[in-house]
Amino acid sequence: MLTILLILIPLVAGLLTFFLGGSNAKIIALAGALAELATAVFAWTQFDPAAGAQFGFQYDWITASGISFAASVDGISMLLVLLTTFLVPLIVLSAFGHNYQNPATFFALILFMESALVGVFTTTDAFLFYFFFEVALIPVYFLAAVWGGENRLKVTFKFFVYTIFGSLFMLVALVYLYYQTPGTHSSAITAFYDLQLTPAAQGWLFWAFFIAFAIKMPLFPFHTWQPDTYTESPTPATMLLAGIMLKMGVYGLIRILLPITPLALNQWGAVAIVLSVIGIVYGSIIAIQQRDMKRLVAYSSFAHVGLMAAGVFSTTLNGMQGALIQMLAHGINVVGMFFIIDIIFSRTNTRYLDHLGGITQKTPSLSVYFMIMLLGSVALPLTSGFVGEFLLLAGVFEYNNWLGAAAGLTIILGAVYLLRMFQKSMFGATSVNTEHFQELTLSERAVLIPLTIMVFWIGIYPSTFLEMTEPTVNQLLRFIHN
Amino acid sequence: MLTDFGIILLFIIAGFALLGVVLGVGRLLRPDNPNPEKNSTYESGEDPVGNANVQFNVRFYVVALIFVLFEVELVFLFPWAVVFGREDLIAQTEGRWGWFALAEMTVFVGILALGLAYAWAKGYLDWVKPKPHVSQFDSPVPSELYEQLNERYAGKAGKGMEEKSNQLP
Amino acid sequence: MYPIILLSFLGIVVLFLGFAKSKAILLPATLLFLAVALVGNFVEWNQGTIIYFYNMLAVNNLTLAFNGIVLVSAFMIVAMTRGFQDDDEAQPAEYYAIMLFSLVGAFMMIGFENLIMLFLGLEILSVAMYVLTGSDKRNLRSNEAALKYFLMGAFATGILLFGIALLYGATGSFTLTGIQAYIGQGNPSYLLYGGLLLVLIGMLFKVSAAPFHFWTPDVYEGAPTIFTAFMATIVKTAGFAALFRLLSHSFTGIYDYWWITLAVITVLTLLVGNIIAVYQDSFKRMLAYSSISHAGYLLIALTAMTPQTENSILFYSMAYSVATICAFGVLIPLAREKAMTGKPRETYEAFNGLARNNPLLAFVLTVSMLSLAGIPLTAGFWGKFFVFGSAAERGIIWLLVVAILMSAVGIYYYFRVIMAAYMKEGDTAEIRVAPFYKIVLVTATIITLLFGIAPGLFTGLV
Repeated sequence: MLTILLILIPLVAGLLTFFLGGSNAKIIALAGALAELATAVFAWTQFDPAAGAQFGFQYDWITASGISFAASVDGISMLLVLLTTFLVPLIVLSAFGHNYQNPATFFALILFMESALVGVFTTTDAFLFYFFFEVALIPVYFLAAVWGGENRLKVTFKFFVYTIFGSLFMLVALVYLYYQTPGTHSSAITAFYDLQLTPAAQGWLFWAFFIAFAIKMPLFPFHTWQPDTYTESPTPATMLLAGIMLKMGVYGLIRILLPITPLALNQWGAVAIVLSVIGIVYGSIIAIQQRDMKRLVAYSSFAHVGLMAAGVFSTTLNGMQGALIQMLAHGINVVGMFFIIDIIFSRTNTRYLDHLGGITQKTPSLSVYFMIMLLGSVALPLTSGFVGEFLLLAGVFEYNNWLGAAAGLTIILGAVYLLRMFQKSMFGATSVNTEHFQELTLSERAVLIPLTIMVFWIGIYPSTFLEMTEPTVNQLLRFIHN
Repeated sequence: MLTDFGIILLFIIAGFALLGVVLGVGRLLRPDNPNPEKNSTYESGEDPVGNANVQFNVRFYVVALIFVLFEVELVFLFPWAVVFGREDLIAQTEGRWGWFALAEMTVFVGILALGLAYAWAKGYLDWVKPKPHVSQFDSPVPSELYEQLNERYAGKAGKGMEEKSNQLP
Repeated sequence: MYPIILLSFLGIVVLFLGFAKSKAILLPATLLFLAVALVGNFVEWNQGTIIYFYNMLAVNNLTLAFNGIVLVSAFMIVAMTRGFQDDDEAQPAEYYAIMLFSLVGAFMMIGFENLIMLFLGLEILSVAMYVLTGSDKRNLRSNEAALKYFLMGAFATGILLFGIALLYGATGSFTLTGIQAYIGQGNPSYLLYGGLLLVLIGMLFKVSAAPFHFWTPDVYEGAPTIFTAFMATIVKTAGFAALFRLLSHSFTGIYDYWWITLAVITVLTLLVGNIIAVYQDSFKRMLAYSSISHAGYLLIALTAMTPQTENSILFYSMAYSVATICAFGVLIPLAREKAMTGKPRETYEAFNGLARNNPLLAFVLTVSMLSLAGIPLTAGFWGKFFVFGSAAERGIIWLLVVAILMSAVGIYYYFRVIMAAYMKEGDTAEIRVAPFYKIVLVTATIITLLFGIAPGLFTGLV
């Protein structure tokens, strides 16, 4: 029953914000997001990692077709629900400093998005998964297209068509699987697991799912929508996209692609890993060239997600666990970085590295937070990124040494572009733009402090989260390798 | 063996044959001395004027439609009378059969009558309309163009064209 | 069954109500009559299959549900006519009467048992449409559209009749069961195949499937918008109900023969509808091509012809009709408002900045476009879902892939409208919309969203 609360609270809060919002929209939205966080944390305290899926519920949705409205929480879901519910209040809070037009609609859309995201991460019905997967797209599309930057129309349109196009392939695959289920057909994801499919069929399904999830993450070569969309979207939407929505793709790989098409993995898994690794190197190299900070972080995110995908496709315990913990860490880091870029932009009106510099002299506190987020991303030991990247690289090495070595470039190249960004923006002489850089406000600190705490928590004591997911991952791997 | 369609084929052949026979016999029997008076379209002496493809007043169509309405009614009344007019059934049902058949036809004739009444009330039966309704039709072609055309071709296309252009408002 | 008799009679009543001094009574009277017909329709709900008029018409839950969709669509469209108050040339009584009569034709097509009834119903519906298309007498485009529609339609009717004649020649029967029994004997004559092909061509013309679609854009654009909405929803729903009835009741025995023909037409329709729609500048014309593409999606379900097909077609027709009514419903006041400042503007630019001063219209438009594009949370998504499902059940995956690619193309042109409404700068003033009109639009939007969230409510009915 907790699961349905988790899905409904943001929805109701979103409706309240939309209809009663007015000038208090942000307060209502924040309260709703916090209530959701409290529920998620409560669920976490009640959660038993060894017990598999729990807090489930199931209602008949389309009775005639055997499609049910069903969701429950297992280790993987719990982790991602925690990530979502933790980030959304911060994203709402991060928008406090801006005066967006129609705040009621703006904040309501964020909450609707949260509801759909939690739905994606918890549902146990394949069609419901697809449903939420698509529905999550609509709020973020409007967030980006209405409140975005100059080029928003073209860019968000590309983003929308791209992702819808990908997920339509998933729809075909799901419909196909549905009609393969015995008897009066079932659309439960576990029913799809039990199907005995021919390797050829699995090959087709593999690619249908792969395209859908690869576009969402995005993986090379389906990434062309991503940098533009991240850059043009308003920062809260960018945070939602990079911090949470990207994880939908990785989650889809783990929940849908691997267990349904294990045989195809033997055949095509190598191609998928190679594509992922190409993405890592390619994204990193392009990130080095960037002058726009938002674009730089967008490419870094592209590189990081490549590593996560490679870890998942290695189908090793290390790789999977690494991907999961890295999803959490990446979500926190990337939100932190986008927020800091937003702070800089709101004060200086520029994101170009050449126009910045010397911010440390004006606001040392900001540069400290920035440094922590960066180091988390660069994967310095004792920060959040380290655990994930270490496990991921270990997983990829287990799969193939050469690929592991290539993927390892991410740490070196990551340090190059991220530290360069830090140096150019924070150190050196102040420029015209940064001369009057103001101190952080209270609400900005309120966003940055929880993020910092999480960076260290994951870096120092990752077992909290690793133990939560391990039984589920083990079970999944046993299933895949049989 | 003749199938049903074979009979139809025979009918077709017989139709053509009959036509040929009748025309042929007529050709052999009739006196043949043509003169211009006899070769004209209307032997009543009326000279046809111009081309047959002229615009008719639209009211002719309404009249024709109303005529069709009654013709259909009549055509339908015959089979109705033949099929339903069975004394044995009327006797068996103590007259109810007759009333039933009559009621069915009343519905049909009633609807047609309503149609006629509608046309009447709308004034489609009046040949001379008391108030001509001037159409506000907005043609992109200016009316001067038509007049110029008429002037240019006046007399060239023969008598018929003139008649036709005069009929236009 | 009752709505056929009721509307035949009430149509005449409406015709004579036109003689009343005040035209104001016509709209409420027509709406009342439609409501009466709707009630009459569902009197026979859940009574199994009833055969009427010596095997001429059949009534069962499926036909009643189709009737219901047609009636509700007609109710919404009539409610949006506002009694043609602002038009001196209009003849409201005649328009309403013709609409009611055309519905009778639609019912006959939906429930026919005998091919003669199919033909009669089709003609009643088509002739009414020819007249309504040309009803804007002062508009050259309307005149042209009516003539074009009439000529093409007459040809199609001829082909259909010839097909029916061949079917009769082969089977010796006009009834669906008779044809089915003949096919059941095995070794059907070649006349049967030819007849089926010709009947299919005639019917596909009416639902504007490619390559029989050429009339659609011109006619949709030329006809007064309210009648375009009528044409796009009711003719299509009735046409597909009839096609489904014909194929599923009589011709499942020779499925192997016709499915590939239909599949080719489906692919062609999807390609033509979606790709040409991308290049349109006029919203109305885009909707015409979109209606072609939706005919393509419906044809997928027909091609598959699984036990799911009837539900797929029913749900899709419903979703499509409601969304289309919304789209035209927003266009009508918008184009009228623009007409006061000059020519009626039906291009995409007319929608620029709509959301600023008309948030409700913009929202209704958005939901309808999302539904037509098949985005989740709208009924259109489930329509596509069920249609694709029936194709997957039959295992025609290549057809599905084409449909998927074309859905992605569809998003492009539907989203142009949404983007224009929300994200482009425009000078659209606040448009006054009658309260009743608003209620219709809002109801249609709620239906779209409700069945988008809980499609089980609808599929559970039948």
